[in-house]
Amino acid sequence: MFKIELKKVTRKRAVKEGNNLKEMEVLKGVDLSVQPEEICTILGPSGSGKSTLLRLINRLEEVSSGSIHLDGIDIKELEVLNLRKKVSLVFQVPVMFDGKVEENLRFGLKVSDEKSDEEMEKCLNLVSLDSNFLKRDSQELSIGERQRVSLARTLMHKPEVLLLDEPTSALDPTATLQIEKLIKDLNQELKLTILFITHNLSQAQRLGHRCVILIAGEKVEEGDSQVVLQNPNNPLSQKFIRGELVKEEK
Amino acid sequence: MIGGIKEVLLALVLVAVSIGISYFRKLDLEKDLLIGTLRSFVQLIAVGYALELVFDLNNLWLILLVILIMVLVGGQTAGSRTKGSLKGFTISTFSIGVGTFFTLGALLLLGVITADPKYVIPLAGMTIGNSTNAAALALERMYSEMKNKKDQIEQALSLGVTSTQAVEHSFKATVRAAMIPTLNLMKIVGLVQLPGAMTGMILAGASPLQAVKLQIIVVYMLICAVSIAAVITSRLSQSTYFTKYHQLVIS
Repeated sequence: MFKIELKKVTRKRAVKEGNNLKEMEVLKGVDLSVQPEEICTILGPSGSGKSTLLRLINRLEEVSSGSIHLDGIDIKELEVLNLRKKVSLVFQVPVMFDGKVEENLRFGLKVSDEKSDEEMEKCLNLVSLDSNFLKRDSQELSIGERQRVSLARTLMHKPEVLLLDEPTSALDPTATLQIEKLIKDLNQELKLTILFITHNLSQAQRLGHRCVILIAGEKVEEGDSQVVLQNPNNPLSQKFIRGELVKEEK
Repeated sequence: MIGGIKEVLLALVLVAVSIGISYFRKLDLEKDLLIGTLRSFVQLIAVGYALELVFDLNNLWLILLVILIMVLVGGQTAGSRTKGSLKGFTISTFSIGVGTFFTLGALLLLGVITADPKYVIPLAGMTIGNSTNAAALALERMYSEMKNKKDQIEQALSLGVTSTQAVEHSFKATVRAAMIPTLNLMKIVGLVQLPGAMTGMILAGASPLQAVKLQIIVVYMLICAVSIAAVITSRLSQSTYFTKYHQLVIS
């Protein structure tokens, strides 16, 4: 039930151009506020800085300038390992660690086995998987199952915020709808604040209370998902929604 | 007797064969072979004189200085194979040094060898040579682990574990890779390969049994030094890829 605030967040990164390194602004002074228990979708073309934004909130990268606040506290003042447990990032391609599903779910936890068993079953149920999955080899799961296990693994840490980086991009339409339902359920049952990156406009409409459009590292528009995606004000948003925006533009 | 100047000059016939092969097969290696022959001749003669001097003086500080120079050369060789060569040099020099001094120190303390330069320096040479290989392999493997397993490592980090926990799998793989040549040596020693120390002793007239005893000590010494060098290099090089906030930094 955390509120997330980004204040003029800029992220610069060194990019190779021929033999030289050139500094590039991946995010340019982004302001953003996500309310507790809200599902906020982030849309934008490839290379617009969406994934970087989530990595900055999870502190896998540092902001170059500006600040990120969690319930009013600058995340730099929080212990980074605790922050990552509270603000969990689920990747586009779910990575399973070697071993069984139960070993994946226990990863990074310091709880007794008995308590851990109960927790694991509970988390698997939350992602609509039964406890038989605990003994399955994680490398033999389908991509959809991996994404569910990845979500369950995140839930084992009892996060307050879920950062989801295109978690359905590799899934078929049925699995996509199942994950979307799951996200909504988690939002309602566990009162999680959720940031969800997607390319898919209809997915943003189905999922998000609010959406933000990022283009070339800048926030160009935000507001109620239904309103913004049907009647965007910004010319760049309009082009993006019509599918006319190419990456190099702007 | 092997070792007179006449025998050395006669052995040059073998280099001539090699140059002949290069010339007739148009390998364009004649110049390299000539320079290599000259260089190895000068280097080895110079080392021979230097060792004669060290053996005659039998001074502990001089022995330590010689070993230190060997460690620095080993560290430079291993470190030069990495991109951040200064860090690579520092890490490998430190790990080779710790492995070498610990192993030789243990042999001296246990009374297996005496502090005689004719024992200490050749054994240090073998230790440093093998530890250099281990350090170079560890530096390279750790880099490729970080590069190829970036997603897996970042997935682990995002779950709130430390960088050391996140790379535990890569760390083990790196140490294993660095130790493989020495482990292989242990398996084939005597059966497939007669190692340098043993061969040298037999050529110098020692009985095969005496040579074998020394070789056994050498193998045990190498496995200890290489383990230490591999573990320290892997752990220290791993730490260079992370910030203090457990963020993976790799280009």
